[in-house]
Amino acid sequence: MEERFEELAALSALGMLEGDEKRTLDGVILRDRALKTLCTELEATVAELAGAVAPFAPPAALKGRIRAKIRSRRTGAAKYSGNYWAFTGWAAAAALAVSSAWLWMEREKLQTNLQSATAAVATEIEQTQKAAAEQREGLEKQIAALNGEIASLQKRDALAQMRIATLQTTVEGYKQGVAVVVWDSEKHQGVLKLEKMPPVQVGKDYQLWVVDPKQPVPVDAGIVRVDSTGFAKVDFKPVTEVTDASKFALSVEKEGGVPKGEGPIVLIGP
Amino acid sequence: MSPNEITEEELLQRVARGDSRAFDELYDRLSPRLYGLLRQMLHDERDAQDVLQDGFVQLWDHASSYDPSRAKAFTWAVMIFRNKAIDRMRALGRRTRLVEAASLEHATLGDGDSLPGADEDVQTRERAEIVRSALQQLPAEQRKLVELAFLKGLTHHTISETLDMPLGTVKTNIRRGLMRLRELLKGGRDGGAI
Repeated sequence: MEERFEELAALSALGMLEGDEKRTLDGVILRDRALKTLCTELEATVAELAGAVAPFAPPAALKGRIRAKIRSRRTGAAKYSGNYWAFTGWAAAAALAVSSAWLWMEREKLQTNLQSATAAVATEIEQTQKAAAEQREGLEKQIAALNGEIASLQKRDALAQMRIATLQTTVEGYKQGVAVVVWDSEKHQGVLKLEKMPPVQVGKDYQLWVVDPKQPVPVDAGIVRVDSTGFAKVDFKPVTEVTDASKFALSVEKEGGVPKGEGPIVLIGP
Repeated sequence: MSPNEITEEELLQRVARGDSRAFDELYDRLSPRLYGLLRQMLHDERDAQDVLQDGFVQLWDHASSYDPSRAKAFTWAVMIFRNKAIDRMRALGRRTRLVEAASLEHATLGDGDSLPGADEDVQTRERAEIVRSALQQLPAEQRKLVELAFLKGLTHHTISETLDMPLGTVKTNIRRGLMRLRELLKGGRDGGAI
């Protein structure tokens, strides 16, 4: 046998081999029976060296500690039975009875715990649902209030952009007449309502004008024809965009209207 | 051991079957020798007791793996306890290194009589004498290296560094020393080259 392998075997027996050397020896042992035998014998030789060491009695309590440790370990406890086989059956039966009683009590306890837990969970769910319903109701009220507020604001806003003007006259014959303009400054359009207006002469029409200070002349808002009772209600929109409708005027013009006022103004306002 | 007494090998086999009385008996017989070994390896009573306890628990757990055709019970047990002691020394690390220098000086086998409390039987004493005698037959350097490796669990690299000795010399001396011990303990007295 090669000295190299004897060396590895000796070092291995003393537990000194590490890494590559250990792997080398393990590999060779697989196919070299003589080397394997040598390893075994050298291991035994090393172990025998312990026989040369002076014995020393361990503390008396240590034995008890070891036995207790073996008993306390689950696997060991089952195994550490001794020779008292005669008692094994009774011990097993007693253990089974105790275990059964214990399991029954545990089952009862678990069932009670489960019922309590279920009731507690049900109560909690009920409370949660109630709280959620209350919260939902509160939110719905809040939403309704907000919607109302929004509607009110929209209405207020709508009114804010609306302007109502009553046209007045100093001309005799028109003092009975009533003229009201509702002007939507955002849409730049309006409604004119006339009542008790005297009829115009043949070949003439009433024509509405919007006075905008930014424009040099009043802006044409269209002709207005009244019925036999002097009533008219017309939607109008000036021919050019009006940014500031400061006044409204009604004049008598040629039939079909004119682009630029020529006739007398019979009503003006506000 | 009286002729009617159960051998350690038989006790160990009974332990493998879960016989706690056999375990008690085996403990009584093995523990003084094993404790003596652990004390000498670890140089600490408490560590030695911890390892002795762990070792016997392992012995209880793994007794079924013992094969009486391959080794004596004591030999098998020594392998378990010595490995545990080496693990302990390596785990202790720094502390071990601190006492290493001092303990190396005392890393010798078979250097005295049994200490108080030990209860040796005749056969154990005879076997101890054989081992001590075999060790005495080794050249001083071989004996020193084998004892260091056995008691301290040091690797050949560590021994080489600690003793400032070439690695090859350490390995050769350990090989020769152990091979010679093997022959001597088997009864060989061929007087061949060591």
